Amino acid sequence: MASALATARDSVNDSSSAGSPILQARGLGMRFNAPEGPISLFENLDFSIDAGDSLAILGTSGSGKSTLLGLLAGLDLPTAGSVVMDSHDLNRLDEDARAQLRAGRVGFVFQSFHLLPGLTALENVMLPAELAGDSRAREHAASALDQVGLTPRLGHYPAQLSGGEQQRVALARAFITAPRILFADEPTGNLDHTTGEQIIDLLFDLNRDHGTTLILVTHDQAVAARCARVTYLREGRLMADSQ
Amino acid sequence: MMLSLRLLYRDWRGGELRLLALAVVIAVAAVTGVSWLADRVAGATEARAADLLAADRAVEYTESIPTEWIERAQARGLDTALTAVFPTVVLTDTANRLVSAKAVNNGYPLRGSLRTQPTLGAAEQTPEGIPQPGNVWLESRLLGLLDVEVGDSLTLGARTFTISAILSFEPDRGQGFSSLAPRVMFNHADLASTELLGPGSRARHKLLLAGPASEAVAFTRALANEQGNAVEIETPSEQGRGASEVIDQAKRFLGLAALLTVIVAGVAVLLTVRHYAERQITGVAVMRAMGATRQRVLGLFVGKLLWLALFAGGIGAGLGYLLHYGMLLIVADLLGTALPAAGWQPLATGWLTAGAALLGFALPTLVRLRDAPPMRVLRADLGSGLLRAGMPLLVAALVILALMAWQAGDARVTLSVFAAVGATLALLAAVAAAVVYGARAYARHLGQARLLWLSGFTRRPVTAVIQIVAVGVGLMSLFLLAVVRNDLLSAWQAEIPPDAPNQFLINIQPDEVDGVRNTLAEAGIDTNFYPMVRARLTALNGEPIQADNYDSPQARRLTRREFNLSWTGTLQADNEILAGDWWGDESNPPPQLSLETDFAEEIGVGLGDELTFASGGGQVSAAVTSLREVRWESFNVNFFVLASPETFNDLPQTWLTSFYLPENETAVLNTLIREFPSVTPIDVSSVLRIVRTIIDQGSSVVELMSLLTLAAGVLVLLAALQITGEERRFESALLRALGARGRRIRAMARLEFWLVGAIAGALAGLAATAAGMVVAETLFNLDYPFRPMTIIAGAGVGLVTVWVAGALGARRYYRASPMRLLREG
Ligand SMILES: Nc1ncnc2c1ncn2[C@@H]1O[C@H](COP(=O)(O)OP(=O)(O)OP(=O)(O)O)[C@@H](O)[C@H]1O
Ligand SMILES: [Mg+2]
Repeated sequence: MASALATARDSVNDSSSAGSPILQARGLGMRFNAPEGPISLFENLDFSIDAGDSLAILGTSGSGKSTLLGLLAGLDLPTAGSVVMDSHDLNRLDEDARAQLRAGRVGFVFQSFHLLPGLTALENVMLPAELAGDSRAREHAASALDQVGLTPRLGHYPAQLSGGEQQRVALARAFITAPRILFADEPTGNLDHTTGEQIIDLLFDLNRDHGTTLILVTHDQAVAARCARVTYLREGRLMADSQ
Repeated sequence: MMLSLRLLYRDWRGGELRLLALAVVIAVAAVTGVSWLADRVAGATEARAADLLAADRAVEYTESIPTEWIERAQARGLDTALTAVFPTVVLTDTANRLVSAKAVNNGYPLRGSLRTQPTLGAAEQTPEGIPQPGNVWLESRLLGLLDVEVGDSLTLGARTFTISAILSFEPDRGQGFSSLAPRVMFNHADLASTELLGPGSRARHKLLLAGPASEAVAFTRALANEQGNAVEIETPSEQGRGASEVIDQAKRFLGLAALLTVIVAGVAVLLTVRHYAERQITGVAVMRAMGATRQRVLGLFVGKLLWLALFAGGIGAGLGYLLHYGMLLIVADLLGTALPAAGWQPLATGWLTAGAALLGFALPTLVRLRDAPPMRVLRADLGSGLLRAGMPLLVAALVILALMAWQAGDARVTLSVFAAVGATLALLAAVAAAVVYGARAYARHLGQARLLWLSGFTRRPVTAVIQIVAVGVGLMSLFLLAVVRNDLLSAWQAEIPPDAPNQFLINIQPDEVDGVRNTLAEAGIDTNFYPMVRARLTALNGEPIQADNYDSPQARRLTRREFNLSWTGTLQADNEILAGDWWGDESNPPPQLSLETDFAEEIGVGLGDELTFASGGGQVSAAVTSLREVRWESFNVNFFVLASPETFNDLPQTWLTSFYLPENETAVLNTLIREFPSVTPIDVSSVLRIVRTIIDQGSSVVELMSLLTLAAGVLVLLAALQITGEERRFESALLRALGARGRRIRAMARLEFWLVGAIAGALAGLAATAAGMVVAETLFNLDYPFRPMTIIAGAGVGLVTVWVAGALGARRYYRASPMRLLREG
C-alpha cells in the first residue's frame, strides 16, 4: 500500500535534520457535491514528507492532483482527514491563519504561471517580499531574477516574455522568500519539451541550493523521475512507483 | 501604507483605474467648483446685503445720536458713521422742491460705495469721501426740477450750499415708498447750521456700524436693552429680500448640476471598479496563496482607494478651483470686485467627496476580493462568481442619497432628484429589457445568419441592457441639463417679461388719474391704475389691536405701521387663491378682504376673521374670505391686502400705476412731473437690470457645470465599452477565424451601437422630459411643456454618440487578429 510504503520511506529519511516531517497527510479525503450527487475524489490518503525531500505526484487528468496539492498547501480544507504543516494542524486554523502559516514558508509554481499582467518581471518577483514587509525587496528580486538568468528582462511585462521566460520569473518569485516548501503544479505543462527541460533543471538547481522541500505535480514521467519519491494518484488512492 | 501606494502606481501605469480616477476627479471638480463658488458668492451676498444698509449694522434713533454711543462703539473697535434723513424744501431763486435731505459724516458709507457724476451725462465715478462742508450733491432729476446745474447754489434752511456733483448711486437708498423724494446729500457738519432740525423734526437718525460681527452684535444688543423701543436695530438680512431669492434659485440650479455630475460619475465608478475587480481576482488569489491574509488584502485595496482619493480629490479640487474661477469670470460684474478670498474648506470638501465616492462606489465591490479563493491558482474557474452581488448597488444608492443630501442641503430636492434617477434606472432597465428580448425573439425567428442575430445586441442581451441603462443615464443627465435646463430657464425667464414694469407712479390723486392716463396714452403707454388707501389695522374681530399682544417684533411692527390697501374686481394673473373664494366678477360683492398668505400667517389672521382698518377719521370693517399667493417676481403692483370694490370707498385714497418705459424714452416722465407735480415717479429699471443679469449669468454658470456632467456621461460610455471589450476582442477574432469578413464584423458592431444608442437616447429623452416636468412643477413652480421632439432628438443624439464613442472606443477590440486566439488560449 502506498501509505505503508510512504511510512517506510519516512522512517528511512527521518534521520535528516528535523525530528518530525515538514508535511504530513492523515486520512485525507475530498468529496464534492456535484449535480449528480456527491463525488469522492480521493479518500484516506496518508503520507508525509521530510524537510528537503522531493515528491512527484503523477496521475491522469482529473484524478485530483491539483486538488490534493491545494489541500497540502492549505489553500483549501479536506472533507476528511487532516494536513499537518510544520507541526500545525491545518484543520484547526482558519483561512487567515493558514495564510499566515504559508507566508514566507510556502512557494508556488503554476502551470499557467499566474504572473500579474500589470507588473514588470521585477515587480512580480518583488511582490511576495513586499507583502512580507521586506524593505530590500527590489534588490532581492533583482538577484533572484539574476539566478534564473533574466537580468536583461527586469523591466519587461509578462506579455512581452515567452512562456519559458515567464515561468522563470515565476520560479524567481517562488524562491525569493526562501520558502521551506515549494508546490509546483505542472510547471512545464504549458511549455515545449526543450523549454520545459530547462525550467525543470532550474527548478531542481534552486531546490538544491535552497534546501527546499518540493512537491511537484506532473504528467511527465521523466520529470517525476528526478524527484526522490514518486507517487501515483489513481482512483482515489496513492500508489508508490516501483522505481 | 507605502505598499498600497506602490501597488496603486503599478495599477495606474498599467492603465487600470484611469477611468475610475477620472470619474472621481470630475465628480470632485463639480462639487468643489460649486462649493467654492457658493462660499464666495455667499460672502459677496452678505457683503451686498450690508451694502444695502451701508453698514454691518445700524441703530436708528428719533433724536440726534448721542456722542457717548459713538464713543462706546469705537471703544469696541467698530467703525462708525452718522446719517440723518429728513424731508425738507430746497430753494433756488426761481424754484422750490420737496426733497429728502440726507446729512452724512466722514466714513459714510461704511459698506458699499457712492457714485457720482461731475456733470449731467458724464461717466459715473466713485467719489472719495462725502460732500465737503458747504457743498451738496443732488440726484440728477432734481437738476431738471430746479433748473440748476453743477456749480449753482441753493438754499437749505438757513444755509446756502454749492452744488458740487450729481449723486447717481447711494447704496442704502432703499426701496419702497418711504424714500421717494429726490435726494440732496450734504455734510453732517453742516447739519446744525441749516437750523432745520428743531424739536419735533421728522428726521431719522442712524448710527452706522461696521467691524467685528461679535462686537457689533454685543453693542447693538446692549443699546437695545438700555433704550428699549426708542432705538431700532437694523441688520443686513432685513435688506434686499428679492435679490437673495434670485441667488437662492441660482444656487439650486448649481446644486442640481453638481448632483447630476456626482451621480453620473458614480455610475462610471461602479462600472469601472467592477471591471477592475474582475481582473484582480486571480492576482488576489495568488497573493493569498503566497500568504496574504484577508485583512491584508482588504487593507491593500482600502489603502489604494485612500491614496487614489487623496490624489483624485486634490486634482479634482484643483480643477474645481479653476472651474469656480471660470464661473466667477462669468458673473464677475454681478458680484463686484470685493469678493472674499477663497477658503480652504472646499478642498476638504473635495477630499471628502473623493473618499465618499471611492469608499461608497468602489469599496463595496473591492471588499469582495478579499474572499477570492486561493484555490483559484490551481483551478481557474473558482471564484468567478465572486462579484455577483447586489450589495454594491445598494451601498452606491445610499451613498448617492447621502452625497445629494449633503450637497443640496434640502431634503425635498434630494428626494425628488433621487426618485427621478431611481425611477429612471428602473424604467430604463425595464424598457431596455423588453426591447432587447423582443429583438432577440424576432431575430431568432428571422434566422441564424442574419446580422441582428449575430450582433452583440441580441447575443449579449444582459450586457445590452446594462449598456442601454448606463448610456441612458448619462444621456439623460445630459438632456436634463442641455435641453430641459434650457426649457426651465426660458420658462423662468419668461416669468420676468422683457417689458416688466420699470417705472412706478405713486401719489396720483383720484382726480388726476384720467389726466395721467391720457399723458401716458399719448406716449403710447397703456396701463392699469390701482387705488391705494393707507390705513392702520385697529381691530381684529371687534377686539382693538395692541402691539403688545404680539410676540414677534415683526408682527408688532406690522400692527404699528400703515398698510397699503387696495381693491379690485378681477384677480391679477400673478395671484393665485390658495384658500377661500375670490369674490369673482359679481357686480356688487359685499365688502370683504383677500390677504396674501404669508402676511396673514404673520399677523395671525385666517379665513373668516374680521379686520378693521382706520384712515383719516374713517373706519371700515370686513371679513377675510380668501388667501392669495402672490408671485412677486412679476414686478407688477401687488398688495398684501385686497378688498372687494367699494369697500374702502369712503377712506382717503391715492392711485398708483406701473409701466415699462424703454431706457431712452424718458421725455414722458418730464412731462408728467411738470403737469402733475405731486405725482412721484420711481425708476426701478436698474433693479430689474440686475435681476436679469443674475439670471443670464447664472444660466451660463450652469452651462459650465453641465459640461462636467457631459464628461462624466462619456466616461460611463467608455466604461461600458471597456467592460465588454475583452468579449468583443475574442468574438471578433473567432469570427475572423471562422471566415467572416472584416466588413461584416464591423457591420455587426455598428448595428449593436446604433440600437443601443438609439434606444438609450430615446429612453433618456423621455425620462429627462419627465424629470424636467417634475422638477419644474415641484421646485420652481413653472409650467413645463411636454415635447416629443426631445425624445426623437434624444434617439438621434444617442445613436450618434454611441456610434462615435463606440467606434473609437471599440476600434482596438475589432482589430484583433485570429492569432490572438492561439496566443491567449
Ligand atoms: N471545487 C470543486 N467543485 C466540484 N468539483 C471539483 C472541484 N474541484 C475539483 N473538482 C473536480 O475534481 C476533479 C479533479 O480535479 P483536479 O483539478 O484536481 O484534477 P487534476 O488531476 O489536477 O487534473 P489535470 O491533470 O487535468 O489538471 C475534476 O473532475 C474536477 O471537476
Ligand atoms: Mg491539475
